Amino acid sequence: MKVVNLKNIEKSFGTLKALNGVDLVINKGEIVSIIGPSGSGKSTLLRCINHLEIIEQGTIDIFEMPIANAKEGEKTKYISEKELRKIIQRIGMVFQGFNLFPHKSVLENIMEAQLTVKKTPPAEAKAIALELLHKVGLDDKEKAYPSQLSGGQKQRVAIARALAMQPEIMLFDEPTSALDPELVGEVLQVIKKLAQEHMTMIVVTHEMAFAREISNRVIFMDEGKIMMDGKPDDIFVNPTHPRIKTFIERMI
Amino acid sequence: MESIIFYILAGANTTLRIFFVTLIFAIPLGILFAIGKIAGGKIIKGILDIYTWLLRGTPLMLQIFFVFYGIPQLLGIKLDRDLAAYIAFIINYTAYFTEIFRAGILSIEKGQFEASKALGMSYPQTMRRIVIPQAIKRVLPPVGNEFITLIKDTSLVMVIAIPDIMRNTKEIVSREASPETFIIAAVIYLILTYGIVFLFSKTEKRLSYYD
Ligand SMILES: Nc1ncnc2c1ncn2[C@@H]1O[C@H](COP(=O)(O)OP(=O)(O)O)[C@@H](O)[C@H]1O
Ligand SMILES: [Mg+2]
Repeated sequence: MKVVNLKNIEKSFGTLKALNGVDLVINKGEIVSIIGPSGSGKSTLLRCINHLEIIEQGTIDIFEMPIANAKEGEKTKYISEKELRKIIQRIGMVFQGFNLFPHKSVLENIMEAQLTVKKTPPAEAKAIALELLHKVGLDDKEKAYPSQLSGGQKQRVAIARALAMQPEIMLFDEPTSALDPELVGEVLQVIKKLAQEHMTMIVVTHEMAFAREISNRVIFMDEGKIMMDGKPDDIFVNPTHPRIKTFIERMI
Repeated sequence: MESIIFYILAGANTTLRIFFVTLIFAIPLGILFAIGKIAGGKIIKGILDIYTWLLRGTPLMLQIFFVFYGIPQLLGIKLDRDLAAYIAFIINYTAYFTEIFRAGILSIEKGQFEASKALGMSYPQTMRRIVIPQAIKRVLPPVGNEFITLIKDTSLVMVIAIPDIMRNTKEIVSREASPETFIIAAVIYLILTYGIVFLFSKTEKRLSYYD
């Protein structure tokens, strides 16, 4: 199944073209890393997939259902809010800045959308939350509040919160960029675990070794475009394009 | 002396009645209008902007007079004094609460909205469960100030002859020439406002669990 299918999408902020004609197909089970210089449109690309940004050109299909359709000179047509929410809840997203709900405990953070969106019975939602806390290695933190956690712990809670909705694809936007170096490993470990379970994922990251290890596909973005899309070795071992080569040499 | 105190306390009853009725309506309306100002369409925003501008830009006393004397003449109806006072206070305080809650909601990080949306939550769910609970904590200090101001503002109802603390005090002073009555009135106001300060500092402590 084509989990994500973007055709020729464009997105501008004022006069700046953050995405300038991006085509991208993500198939079920693929683990795709997106790398590229800062400002190249990586976050914007992820955010277009789950409707945090509205596109101006192109089409978006998610789970092989049309979501957005923009024609030259016309306002983008999206499906209804309600239908969009049904799709979005099947997409998990993890942000660079965690965005946990500070007024809710760790357990409540993971239960929240299960209760409000999925209408899961509270006992079941709690069981799922505890199981996920175990999975991300935070068994003892269920009662803690986000402010009492380290960055690495916060991000693991955020991953658990997204997983609680049983997403069919996970989007990670630089999940370790806000972390102290010694806390990066514990978060990457969790993402690796998901990769081993063949979760479909798109991971924007600056962790080159990690990208190479977990992905079966790496995308290099530059100036709002996909400059290269290939197997990890094609990009990391024999980067043909000089820009990619410079970038990777700088990152490693 | 005792009868003086009881007479003023009877006035305090009126003061508290106006205080609570105003808050019961003005707070939920203020939250609703704040959301209207943030998420509403152009027309709703425009109407609410004019509303808050008018009500915050003119004296409350003028508004009380207008509701009690003006509206009945304009509409050819009769308005009970208490009802007129309630209406004037509610529309006035709603305007202030609208602005306070608007600022509170706008102070919540964009990431909270985005995380909620990414989880599939609707805008009303996001507001009710994520944004407003956090906004309430942030606006506690200005809301506390409004509560204290409201207690003191209720004394304005004496201008339409409602027997509150202030009016009863004035009546005793002019009848019995006993200036110490002012002190009794002041003490009652101080007790009420201290009660508010106390409750708010308690609430702030209770909500500090997630700092
Ligand atoms: N909300 C926004 N308003 C204005 N400009 C933005 C906004 N979001 C992103 N941009 C701009 O769009 C470009 C792409 O940004 P982004 O997708 O965040 O890049 P990346 O994630 O690759 O660093 C950048 O030049 C950035 O400054
Ligand atoms: Mg980014």
